[in-house]
Amino acid sequence: MSKVMTTGEAISKFVHPGDFLFLGGYICRTPFSAIHEIIRQKIGDLTITRSNAADDFDMLIGAGLVKRFISTFLSLGIYGLGRCYRRSLEKGIPHRVEVEEYTNLSLPMMLQAGAMGMPFVPVKDMVGTDLLNVRSFMGDNKYKMIDSPFDGRPTLLVPALNPDVAIIHVQQADEAGNAQIWGIGGDCQVGANAAKKVIVTCERIVSRETIGKDPSRTIVPAFKVVAVVEDPYGAHPGYTPGFYDVDFSMGYLYQQASNTEAGLAEFLKEWVYDIADRNAYIQHYIERFGYATFRKLEAAFDYGYPVNYGY
Amino acid sequence: MTDNEKEYIKPELMACCGAREIKDGDVVIVGTGFPAMAANIARYTHAPGAILMQESGVIDARPKRPALSVGDPCLNPGAAMVGGLVEIMGMVLQAGSVDVGFLSGSQVDKYGNINTTVIGSYENPKARLPGSGGANPIGALARKTLIITLHDKRRLAAKVDFITTPGYLDGAGARERWGMAPGTGPEVIITNKAVLRFDTKTKEAYLATYHPDCTISEIVENTPWELKVAEDVHPTTPPTQEELRVLREVLDPHRMISIYEKKGYV
Repeated sequence: MSKVMTTGEAISKFVHPGDFLFLGGYICRTPFSAIHEIIRQKIGDLTITRSNAADDFDMLIGAGLVKRFISTFLSLGIYGLGRCYRRSLEKGIPHRVEVEEYTNLSLPMMLQAGAMGMPFVPVKDMVGTDLLNVRSFMGDNKYKMIDSPFDGRPTLLVPALNPDVAIIHVQQADEAGNAQIWGIGGDCQVGANAAKKVIVTCERIVSRETIGKDPSRTIVPAFKVVAVVEDPYGAHPGYTPGFYDVDFSMGYLYQQASNTEAGLAEFLKEWVYDIADRNAYIQHYIERFGYATFRKLEAAFDYGYPVNYGY
Repeated sequence: MTDNEKEYIKPELMACCGAREIKDGDVVIVGTGFPAMAANIARYTHAPGAILMQESGVIDARPKRPALSVGDPCLNPGAAMVGGLVEIMGMVLQAGSVDVGFLSGSQVDKYGNINTTVIGSYENPKARLPGSGGANPIGALARKTLIITLHDKRRLAAKVDFITTPGYLDGAGARERWGMAPGTGPEVIITNKAVLRFDTKTKEAYLATYHPDCTISEIVENTPWELKVAEDVHPTTPPTQEELRVLREVLDPHRMISIYEKKGYV
C-alpha cells in the first residue's frame, strides 16, 4: 500500500497541536522540510525531543510552537548558542519553553527503552550533578534513584519515552515506508521506533526490490510508517550522506537573522511562510544565491562496495 | 629541548599537551577542534594504536578534512564503524571501554566540575548555555577526562553555577559515593597559561606546569581559588618538531587551529 503524499498532507494529517514529536537528525538528515511545514501550518503546543538539537529546534522555539522540550543540548554548532532558545529561557520571548534536561546517553537510552516496550531503563550518567537537582514538567518521574535489587548499589532509573510521532529524513524509502540510511545515525533509529507513528521524508523513493537488495540498511520497517514523502534536499541546510554537504553559509544566515526577533520574523517569512514546499524553497535558494552555489553542496562520489547476500 | 620549535601558537601547544596524555592503545572520545587535533597528534606520533571515536556514532574515522562537528559527513567514508548514539554512548562508553574523553566548558571549577548549562540561576538565567550533550556521560564514565579551557576568572571558578558534568564533585570520595567507577575522573585542566593536575588526596586542581611565556604569579592571580603550586613545578614542554610537523602538514594544513587565537587562546 502506498503511503506517498506531500509534506503538507503528511503534517496536516498526522501532526496535531499538543503532540509529542521526535525529530530525527544529527546535523545529518535533519527533517527540515517537515519542520518548515509544521511552522507554516502553525501547529503549536508541541513537546519536542532529540539528542543534540540544533537550528531546527531553535527555529521551532522561535516560531512559538514549542511548549516543552526534552533536551540534552541545543546549539547552532560553529555559530554558537541558539538565539531563540536563549530569548525563550532568558526573556520569555515568545514564551518560556519548559525544559527537561537529560544527556546524550540517557535520552537515547530512554528512546531505546520506549522502542523496546520497556517501562524504564537504568543509566550510569547524571548522578552527583545538578542535572538531578532540576525537574520540570516530568516532576518526580524525571528519574528515580533506587538501590539495585541485585547488588544494592545506587542506581539511576529514567523513564521510557514514546513520542506520538517521529519525523525522520532518510536517503531512501519505498512507498510503504521501509526506510534506509547510511552514515552517522545519532538517535534516529531508536527515536523512530519508539514513536507510535513515523513520518518518513526521503531523498528518493525506491522500489521494494531496491530495498531488498540491501535490507541491512533499513532502520524502520514499513508497518511503523504512516507517511512517505519524497523531498530532495529535505535536510538542507543540514546534510544527507551521498547527496549534499552541510551548508554553512545558510547556517550563518540563520544565526545572523535569529539574533533579533525582527530578523527571525523576516527569515521565517522569506524561507518558510512565503514558500509553498521544498521545491519552491530550493528554487528560491537558487534565485537568491545562484545555481553555482547550490551545485557546490552536491556530494562527491564515494561509493561503497556492493555486498553479497547470496547463500 | 633543542628538538623543540620556538615558533608556535598557544593552541598548538595546548593540543600537544592533550596529545601527551594519550597512551598507545587508548580508546578516546573526541569532539572537534582541539580534542580531535590533540588525539590525532597522539595517533601520528607516540600512540599509533589509539582508537578515536565520535559520540554521534563513528569509530576510527579517517576524515580527509578537519571535522567541523561530531556529525560532520567527512567522518563517514573510511571509518571502521558507523552506528549511532546507543552504540558509542551505550555500548562503548557506558560499558566502560573509553579510556580518555575531552571536555570543555563555560565554567570549570577546582574539582574539575564543568558547567555548560547556565550562567546565573537556573530559573532566571543570565545566559542559557547548550546543556550537557555528551559531556555528562563522558565525565561520569570515561576512565580519565582532559579539560580544555581559557585561563581567567570567568572561565575558572571556585564553584561552578551548575554542575553539568561531574569532575570530583565536592572532593575526594564523592564520585565513588555516587557509584562512579573508582579511579576515574579529570586528569588535567589544560589552559592557555598552564597545565593543572589534581591532588590525589584532596582532588583539588594544582599548578603542574606553566607555559613558557607565562609566570607562576600571573597564573595564580588569574585563578579564582587559592591555587596550590607543585613542588616540582616547571615550564610546559614546547611542541616538538615532530608534533608540529604532524599538526601542520598532515592534520591541519589550512591552519584552522589558529581560529582559537581569535577566541582568546593566546
